[in-house]
Amino acid sequence: MSAARIVFIGGLLSYRALFNWLNPWIFIPTLVLLPIFQILLFAFMGRQANLESDQFFVIGNAVQSASTPCLWGMTSAIAGERSSRTLGLLLASPAPRVATFVGRAIPVIANAWIVSLISFAVGAWLLRVDLPPSRWPAIAVLVLVGSVSCTGLALVLAAISLRVRDTATLANSMYGVLLIFCGVNVPLAALPGWMPAVSAWLPLTRTIEATREVAAGASLGHVGGLVLHELALTSGYLLLGICILRYFEASSRAKATLEVV
Amino acid sequence: MTSTVEVTDLCRSFKTSTGLLWRSHRTTEAVRDLSFSVERGELFGLLGPNGAGKTTTIKMLITLLLPTSGVARVLGIDVARDPQAVRSRIGYVFGGERGLYERLSAADNLRYFAELYGVSPRSQRTRIAELLELVDLSGREKERVEGFSRGMRQRLHIARGLLHDPEVLFLDEPTIGIDPVGARQLRELVVRLREAGKTILLTTHYMLEADLLCDRIAVIDKGQLLALGTPTELKSSVDIGQVIEVETFGLPQTAIDRIETLDGVRTVTASVRGHLQLLVVQGHPGAEVTGSVLAAVDDQVVHRVLTREPTLEDAYVALVGGS
Repeated sequence: MSAARIVFIGGLLSYRALFNWLNPWIFIPTLVLLPIFQILLFAFMGRQANLESDQFFVIGNAVQSASTPCLWGMTSAIAGERSSRTLGLLLASPAPRVATFVGRAIPVIANAWIVSLISFAVGAWLLRVDLPPSRWPAIAVLVLVGSVSCTGLALVLAAISLRVRDTATLANSMYGVLLIFCGVNVPLAALPGWMPAVSAWLPLTRTIEATREVAAGASLGHVGGLVLHELALTSGYLLLGICILRYFEASSRAKATLEVV
Repeated sequence: MTSTVEVTDLCRSFKTSTGLLWRSHRTTEAVRDLSFSVERGELFGLLGPNGAGKTTTIKMLITLLLPTSGVARVLGIDVARDPQAVRSRIGYVFGGERGLYERLSAADNLRYFAELYGVSPRSQRTRIAELLELVDLSGREKERVEGFSRGMRQRLHIARGLLHDPEVLFLDEPTIGIDPVGARQLRELVVRLREAGKTILLTTHYMLEADLLCDRIAVIDKGQLLALGTPTELKSSVDIGQVIEVETFGLPQTAIDRIETLDGVRTVTASVRGHLQLLVVQGHPGAEVTGSVLAAVDDQVVHRVLTREPTLEDAYVALVGGS
């Protein structure tokens, strides 16, 4: 019971405490308007260059917009403990660590899902992308999968940022990597040979592919393999993130590496 | 019967490296063969200058750091071997403005830590209300912490440390940077906690505070124990002679240096008090130094001269200054 409360109640409280973008003056321009501008920018460039359809750009950029709240939200919610000097208090508590840190992922996922859905809906409306209403539920499920998978990667970055401290650089760099490598604006087949090999290890790649297939008329069952692949990768990232957090905590006791109080 | 806190030959060293290509390594001994014990219900003070090893010692006792060697037990539990068992039975409060979630209200800060310490949902509301009352923050619980004064934050820290009703409380410089009224309120709170049966280990820089509050005091410097006893024992254990306080204006360093070399003078400390300078001169036992000290500041404007009995601060200066 206690672990469940730490996951849900503790996760939400700490997310509210440490993710300072929840202020509407930051949330709306950064998490609502910016993704829409990104969709429009790439769609208009695509039109000018006679490349992919507007739908291609709406799907790629809307799904990728989940990475902003995931990367910055998760790293803030964990690395923020250090700047607020609450990390020592957290580590000196008897709370189960997995529940404490993974619990913070739940509001991150919810936030990313909402942001991504808003980008999707507004982007599609502005560009007159015609998506039949029957396809939206499946798209919403896939956007959720994308938010979960991106949060897995974000947990790894958050764990690393406890030690390297430069949260913003890590999150910015990873945002760029996801934008280029995941087939957001350029089809994977058009990328140079080595790049799709990297894409295969990144979250969002399969979600974007699956969402494009569903938007084109495929059923959720048809893209089940891609979804399972994405979730397996997510599990790997979550496990890696937890291992890094555990290692840092243990090494901090031995070497005082986290300067915890 | 075992002591509540037992520290035996505790050592902690830190290895640091500098340089990019040719790295040089250095080992700093932060705590060296430290031994002391704290009995149940005792308020025990740990005094020492900056860098003496007080916080490192506390970090080891609250399980955040592993000792390099030696043993530390809290409530009979080895802090290195079973940290989890120790964590649920101790509380930890440190001084300063940080260590709270600024964007959350006082109540939400307490609620979060109540979850971390497994305080049952049924008792959380009552417990938080009781503690807010205890630390005089009732009525302010819905306000965000970012608007709190330093004293209010510190009181909230104490409430946080007490959420799970710990048997042992570690207070690391809780009154640092707080105004005199706030510091007095905190000291009164600490006294109430001791009366409630808590075992408290307190570190502080304020001698008056240690003298007022502590049953026993350990003075440490450079990681080593210099003295251990009640405040009265410490005062009498150090062979301090006459203490002269001279209030003056703009005393040059050369004059201070001259006083230090006078016969019979043991230590000289100078500090600024408002627009005045306060010179505290400790003499060797039996030495009469008032005349020679006054002669040394003859060409200065002297506001006031006072001779008095040694205080805990004098004992501390004699101990740390002579170490």
